[in-house]
Amino acid sequence: MTSGPSRSRRYLMLFLLFCGFGIILFRLVTLQVLQAAELTVKADRQHQKTESFEGARGMVSDRHGKVLAMNMEVPSVFGVPTSLESPSTVARHLSPVLHIRSEELERKLRQDKSFVWLARKLDPEQGRRLEQLSLDGIGVVMEGRRYYPKGPLLAHVLGFSGMDGQGLEGLERRYDSHLHGEKRVTVLQRDAFGRTVFPKGVAEQAPTPGHALTLTVDEVIQYIAEKELEEAVTHTHAKSGTIIVMEPQSGAILAMAVSPRFDPNVVAALTPDRWRNRALTDTYEPGSTMKIVVGAAALEEKVMTPSTMVFGENGRMVVANTTIHDHDKLGWMTFSEAIQKSSNIGVAKVGMALGEQRLYRYLQVFGFGQRTEIDLPGEVNGLLKAPKDWGRRSLASISIGQEVGVTPLQMVSAVAALANGGVMMKPYVVSEVRDQKGRLLREVLPQVRRRVVSPETARTLTTILEGVVTNGTGTKAAIPGFRVAGKTGTAQKIDSRTGAYSSTQFVGSFVGYVPAESPRLAMIVILDEPQGESWGGTVAAPVFRQVGEQVLNYLGVSRDDTVKIALAMKDH
Amino acid sequence: MKMLTIVAGVLLVFMFVWERVDVVRVGYQIERLKTQKVLLERERDQLQVKFSALTAPERIAKVATEKLGLIPPQQGQVLMVHQQEETPIPVVPPIVQVRLARHDSTVRGNE
Repeated sequence: MTSGPSRSRRYLMLFLLFCGFGIILFRLVTLQVLQAAELTVKADRQHQKTESFEGARGMVSDRHGKVLAMNMEVPSVFGVPTSLESPSTVARHLSPVLHIRSEELERKLRQDKSFVWLARKLDPEQGRRLEQLSLDGIGVVMEGRRYYPKGPLLAHVLGFSGMDGQGLEGLERRYDSHLHGEKRVTVLQRDAFGRTVFPKGVAEQAPTPGHALTLTVDEVIQYIAEKELEEAVTHTHAKSGTIIVMEPQSGAILAMAVSPRFDPNVVAALTPDRWRNRALTDTYEPGSTMKIVVGAAALEEKVMTPSTMVFGENGRMVVANTTIHDHDKLGWMTFSEAIQKSSNIGVAKVGMALGEQRLYRYLQVFGFGQRTEIDLPGEVNGLLKAPKDWGRRSLASISIGQEVGVTPLQMVSAVAALANGGVMMKPYVVSEVRDQKGRLLREVLPQVRRRVVSPETARTLTTILEGVVTNGTGTKAAIPGFRVAGKTGTAQKIDSRTGAYSSTQFVGSFVGYVPAESPRLAMIVILDEPQGESWGGTVAAPVFRQVGEQVLNYLGVSRDDTVKIALAMKDH
Repeated sequence: MKMLTIVAGVLLVFMFVWERVDVVRVGYQIERLKTQKVLLERERDQLQVKFSALTAPERIAKVATEKLGLIPPQQGQVLMVHQQEETPIPVVPPIVQVRLARHDSTVRGNE
């Protein structure tokens, strides 16, 4: 029998136990049932981390796979001002690593914010030094940065991308939809130490990198073109210069050089004027190079034959109350000579014989006044007025390359058509697009635009244009061992102050192809406002020779003195 | 029989716990390897950028001329040697794709 006090103690114990378990049960129900949803969210927030990953921007390489642009992960530094005890000390430590004044860093770190960028897309070496510093309240994240390892090489074609990896200029802009990587948001599981653990039930996928571009450009040919152009611009004190090298049979661009150059790795301080691709955004009056088109039209329409005689009016002819001059007092000459000697009067007469409608039609057929539709941004149409808007002198003027605005790309495409037996090809820069695994997504094949003249006309004109180089105005374009066909051009620029043709500002150019009998290259060289001697035959033709000779050697093109070896060892 | 059931039950519990522990262990291992992969890829990219910069024609030409004292071949110093059967054949587009300009009264931008 239990006594009274011991029984009451037992009841007390039971009561306390009941209360204890009751409290636990109550808490359990509160946590697991009543606050379940809220607490689950809270727990997930602590265990899971949402991170956004962006696939690397696609690589750009030349026709031989040499890398011209690629992405690399580099460190970016941020600060958490609210967690800093001494912003001034942190700023002093960071300043020599980031190369930013400590006052500026301190100002950023004293802001009432929980996140602030201190410096973005640094060099990997700076990232390593930051890791060694290991400062509280300072974090480092990796971001993709665009690198152009060859510096200024092909910069006007490649363009550049912005801080957030978006294509801003050139191919980077035109092919942005292919190049940019896919952004992907991933939920990661974290342990108590903040480490990422194997995601349980969370699908984790790596972000897809952008597609890679293979160009038609050859970096060696591009280098040769840029080197020679820079030398010519420096030597002639020209304002700018352009060289385009094209494969006539395909329309593939082998080189597109523009001077002055720029480094796409450092564009922050540059103006758009510096990175504009003048080869397709700027127009110029082509001057005498336009005589190629007039000559082609006259031959094709059988208005002229190479031996048709034309009178040079002794160097002076009045058209619509204005006077057309020649550089020499030329008399009777053949049609071929008129082109080879670059007679303005002779070719103006040829243009008049063709008539407005036919000349206009051929100018259009040769691609003037319309875009070539090259796969680069910013191309302009040029200026070609319809005959109804022509003045009384226009027919003569247009025949000698005045009153018409063309881009260097239009002119080289037109001449490349003659080099290709009269068939005009569409110029292009990108030949392949591949995915990250190297699978071919898109292959660009040579595309015929149209036939501009018959093969016979192209052959006849080639012979005439060879004469320009052998005994005409373009002798300085001659490349030993090769037959060169081409034409010089010296165009007066319009003086912006007077609105009349300037007597001091010229555009000197040479456009042609080589070897004339089986062309491998069509090329245009343009120098804008060369000082002193400004004749195309004096300033641009030598550049054509320099580039042409080196490129033909590089390509291993047979020349007249090439040693031929019979395949005698075939059976061995 | 009862004893066997208890032992089997305990074994099952152990197996479940072991499996969970192993999943976490492998998870950490995977994460370590992933980090390593990322670092190696980063290093590969850095080396590729460096390689591309070092093989730039401009740099090679500079080293060749300034450091090694080489000069570009002068006129007549390059002698091409070709096998006789090698003849560059120009690619002529099929005739069906082309048209004579003089028969073309209206010009279309791109055909």
